[in-house]
Amino acid sequence: MDAVKSIDLVKVYHRKETVEALKDVNLSIKKGELFTLLGPNGAGKTTFLRIISTQLLLTKGEAYVFEYNVTTQPNEVRKHIVVVPQDVQTYGNFTPWEYCYYFSQLRGMPKSKVEENSERTLKAVDLWDLRNRTCATLSGGEKKRAIIASALASDADILMLDEPTSGLDAVARRKVWAVLRELVEQGKTILLTTHIMEEAEMISDRLAIINKGKVVAEGTPEEIKGLAKEKLRVVVEGNSKDTKLLQNNSRVVKFGGKQIIYLKDENEAIELVKTALKKGLKAEIAPVTLEDVFVKIVGGEEA
Amino acid sequence: MNLKIVKDTLVIAALKSIPDFKRQPLLLFMVGLISSIPLFFILVFGGQIGYGLIGAMVSTIGFIGINAAIQEVSADRYVKIREIIVAMPVSPISYAVGIALAPLILSTPSLLFFIAIAIWMEVLPFSSIGWLIVSLVLCWAALSSIGFLISTYLQRASIYTLNNMANILGLGLIFVPPVYYPEEILGGLSWIAMIFPTSNAAGLIRVYSGSLQLPQEMVLVRWLILVIVTVVSIIVVSFKAKWREV
Repeated sequence: MDAVKSIDLVKVYHRKETVEALKDVNLSIKKGELFTLLGPNGAGKTTFLRIISTQLLLTKGEAYVFEYNVTTQPNEVRKHIVVVPQDVQTYGNFTPWEYCYYFSQLRGMPKSKVEENSERTLKAVDLWDLRNRTCATLSGGEKKRAIIASALASDADILMLDEPTSGLDAVARRKVWAVLRELVEQGKTILLTTHIMEEAEMISDRLAIINKGKVVAEGTPEEIKGLAKEKLRVVVEGNSKDTKLLQNNSRVVKFGGKQIIYLKDENEAIELVKTALKKGLKAEIAPVTLEDVFVKIVGGEEA
Repeated sequence: MNLKIVKDTLVIAALKSIPDFKRQPLLLFMVGLISSIPLFFILVFGGQIGYGLIGAMVSTIGFIGINAAIQEVSADRYVKIREIIVAMPVSPISYAVGIALAPLILSTPSLLFFIAIAIWMEVLPFSSIGWLIVSLVLCWAALSSIGFLISTYLQRASIYTLNNMANILGLGLIFVPPVYYPEEILGGLSWIAMIFPTSNAAGLIRVYSGSLQLPQEMVLVRWLILVIVTVVSIIVVSFKAKWREV
């Protein structure tokens, strides 16, 4: 069963100039999966999420949440979803406990369940000890976790999170990842947007790369990485004037003294590393990353 | 009426008032203090305290009605709490009424203080309390609806623009029409008092306090106008306020 489905979804903003933010977007997100929308700034990720979460009206096409039409049945849709908007901020006078408590109450839960969920999720995001501190006294990451905790406490079937871990440090981010994966194990569906490639690669069951309002790639992280012609990357570090040997007719990306050389063949990669080491350079082989594929796709080239 | 709408209204009113009340208890005095400023000048310059007290009551309700509705909605939009609530199974009616109720809770002590003083000074007979409350509630409902309509309609206005607008409208509706001063001063233009919910409510309270003499049918007309303005404001806000963006 599809938890979220969009059919030829179009969104046009009529402001100072007309902007087509989404162009015939077709996506299906299955129940119980963590689906990530990956894209550069202004790609249309947030617009898609806001339409699906009934905050924004679509221009053309159709969109469904558990077979409820987001345009004509928003009240049914809202019973099944919870949203964490991008760049959400907190009220300084609120405590993390109050965020969880009041927002869970608005879901219509009994008081005992509200308290149980609030405690569970505040512990999950490591805010239990800070539950009674006002948000004004918390760090940026702690404030974000308070909002995420309030969303997690909702018990909604689908969580829609717009860049939920931006601004969090690596430790806090991984805690959130663990909580999200745990929720998926419990049967929840998660739709999230992110800029962080590692996040998309580590926690997504499937993902879609969206660029200039269009879905340009869709699949599991492995399938997306498989779109690249080259399977390996050799990173060479050091000052060498003899770049001809290293380039080897392959695609090369240079950053100062570092070069990333993309190769199809493993033997070719090993030879390249040997050559580099002989020249006194540092070199290492690794599989291509999601970021490599992403940059190539949104950069306008075929992978 | 759906019971969840009522429950959600109370939850929103609580979340908008209890944390503020717990951590900023001075807020309880703020609205009352602002409303007392004209009262101070009336006392110092030998004006009629009765007009001042009734003005302070209407001001307490009226100012928070329009001002809080605009400021709370724009603040919610700024911190994006509104986006979270729009995507929840919460009726826009619960949100609007909850937001309007929250400052009413915070201003109740000030209002009770002014009523107690008015009764103690025999400005207001105890028997008129019912009429006083009805007229104040209608005034609050009308102004809150107008405030909610403005803030949701001007979705692209900055929080600063909306806050300035809230203050100008709030102060304008309190100090321009005859709220703190007798409407008789306006002479042939005294009918203006009936148009604004603030001055109309103040006029009706004065009728029941005995400081304004009006024929019975005129009192009826004024009630009718107050009810119509309130109902029309609520209807307009229900149809025109934008819950979902286009």
